[in-house]
Amino acid sequence: MKKYLPATILVTALTFSLALLAQNGQRSAVAKAPATSAHPDFSGVWFEREYHRNILSEGNPPLQPWADELYKKRKLEVTTSDPDHPPDPVARCIPPGVPRIMYLPFPWEIVHARDRVVMIFEVQIVRQIFTDGRGHAKDVDPTYMGDSVGKWEGDTLVIDTVGLNDKTWLDANGLPHTDALHVVERLRRVDHDTLKAEFTIDDPKAFTKAWTVEKLFDLKPDWHIKEYVCAEDNEIK
Amino acid sequence: MNKAAAALTLAVSLLLGSYSAFAHHARASFDVDRSITLKGTVANFKWTNPHTFIFLDVKDEKGSVDEWRIEANSPNMLSRIGWTRELMKSGDQVSVTGSPAKDGEKILRLETLTLANGQKFDGQGINGGVGHAE
Repeated sequence: MKKYLPATILVTALTFSLALLAQNGQRSAVAKAPATSAHPDFSGVWFEREYHRNILSEGNPPLQPWADELYKKRKLEVTTSDPDHPPDPVARCIPPGVPRIMYLPFPWEIVHARDRVVMIFEVQIVRQIFTDGRGHAKDVDPTYMGDSVGKWEGDTLVIDTVGLNDKTWLDANGLPHTDALHVVERLRRVDHDTLKAEFTIDDPKAFTKAWTVEKLFDLKPDWHIKEYVCAEDNEIK
Repeated sequence: MNKAAAALTLAVSLLLGSYSAFAHHARASFDVDRSITLKGTVANFKWTNPHTFIFLDVKDEKGSVDEWRIEANSPNMLSRIGWTRELMKSGDQVSVTGSPAKDGEKILRLETLTLANGQKFDGQGINGGVGHAE
């Protein structure tokens, strides 16, 4: 345990620092400075305009046969399971992974920093998208949130994520993926109050071809990210 | 097994035990095509993540009382649409409309709460009902 303590403290300190940065973000000229220089400023709290259980609202996902079978099994489980034993990992407070964390029905905040874009999610996860040109880490261990790097293409932030584990679902109906998942997100402000995100999902082990889906997010100028402790009320009986 | 290992085993067992009674319910657990209304007395109002709960004593036509568990969204989302932790207290008379659990348990996914003074509150969120905790 001891050898993990410094890392734990570091992560905790980073999380609180980012939270403080976020709280002061709307008032602080320092927090806004990097974004006003060369790139669009996406600072603020964003919330999905329309929530759907399926990430693909039209047509069937182009799944490999084994993944299609698993998806059908999970879809049945989520509609027939005991309410106290939900099969969805998110309902058991497991991190939602990328990209699902973006389109859960919870708000998230963007904070711009010098070398990264930071996303603070109400589900108590901080996502860091490095924009300093460092590229993906070598031999990255698969994790829930993966390894994200970003670059600006004009007014669009392009985020490339790899290094994801296969423990998460892509939607609330259980759309599966593997650790070969590669996600490209293109975020663009279509007007002051609207952010458009285009998600391209490429996972040759689970899908027969790459596919893309779009989501719109509304700016919520009066909101801030609050504490949300998913596991708090584990036992109520 | 030494004491430390025994304590660890116990801690893990307790952790797994609490997980098995997990109370974070997916919307799919409820029959969202059905809507029922219950009137009753608030036994307990729990302003707790990830869901807010109203434990409601509901009297049937024969006079016997059943306790229903009414599930609303998280305090975070509800506070953005006017709820507060002091919205209700034990003994208050309220009416709730929502979807019952598919498995027949006395659990309701709240759509609308009506207080004794007639004030109504959305039980899930915003944007026309979007914003449910899954």
